[in-house]
Amino acid sequence: MKENHIIEFLESRSFASLNESERVVIQAHTANCSSCARAYEATKIASALLRERAVEAVEPSPFFHTRVMAALRERQNEVPAFKRLWQAAGALVSSMTATVALLAVLSFVVPGTQTSATAQASESNGYTAEEVILNQNDWQDEQASDAQVLTTLYPADDAGAK
Amino acid sequence: MAQLARAGDEAAFAEIVRRYSPRVFRFASKFFRQRSEVEEAAQEVFMKAFTQLGSYEGRGSMEGWLTRITTNTCLNLLRSAKRRPELASADLSEDESTWLENQLSDVAAERHRASERSLVAADLADRVLENMAPDDRVVLTLIDGEDASVKEVAELTGWSEAKVKVQAFRARRRMRAAVEKLLGKKLPPAIAGS
Repeated sequence: MKENHIIEFLESRSFASLNESERVVIQAHTANCSSCARAYEATKIASALLRERAVEAVEPSPFFHTRVMAALRERQNEVPAFKRLWQAAGALVSSMTATVALLAVLSFVVPGTQTSATAQASESNGYTAEEVILNQNDWQDEQASDAQVLTTLYPADDAGAK
Repeated sequence: MAQLARAGDEAAFAEIVRRYSPRVFRFASKFFRQRSEVEEAAQEVFMKAFTQLGSYEGRGSMEGWLTRITTNTCLNLLRSAKRRPELASADLSEDESTWLENQLSDVAAERHRASERSLVAADLADRVLENMAPDDRVVLTLIDGEDASVKEVAELTGWSEAKVKVQAFRARRRMRAAVEKLLGKKLPPAIAGS
């Protein structure tokens, strides 16, 4: 019997399933083959280890089924919690959309009204709104008061107020 | 009972857990040794069983169906666990070294007390198996440790019988190599030198 034959034969079956005649043949071979003898011993020990390990078993505690049912309920409750989160996220998105719309109205519609009023005022005093804004630093340099600026921009209103 | 549980009857499912948990624990114990690990695996098995009750057609036994879920759950848990570095003979405890030496001498092995021997061997088996790939562990534990047939392992794992055979062949080779490495110079000179 070739060296490899024993090793491959040992690897092809579980050690426990070897019958008596097969063991006799294996032992006869291992008496004259050191590497197969070593493989045989290792296989025998590996089998013994696996069988000793198989004997051990953990038993469930009396509370195990309670624990499983609690975990199950917890997992089932995770779905409504997710739905609640989703609904809250929806409400947040809606309110944010409304806020953005309101800001858009305030930014584009209301300033438009102011611009026409400013244009009317500019016609009377010869300044455009852009000039007023661009010349703000000059105004500041001249330390013009808010009242002076208002008078310059809205002489008519000022006159009316008076 | 499965039909009731499938319809959402919690008491029926609790009864399934109560009735089959010893079997699931015994099976999960083949792959995990710590109580916490076995409990975690068993809990995961029943959670999966609850969500998969719809796929249980009632043709096979509930026990067989749960055993298949247990095998796959344990295999997945083993795959997600970190493998330990390779065990060397220098890492062995004195008891483990003695156990190995006694295995090489039948007379000494007989003298060694059985209970001590089992405990040390189970510890050592665990340490050797922890270094092996999860698929190797499953076939070795079931076929070589539990005498399960290739067909049974194929049914439990969902693998083909050919894959089980090849996996078992390679796993035995790796297990033998690991044990040979641990034995090192412990082999008697008469065998080593023959």
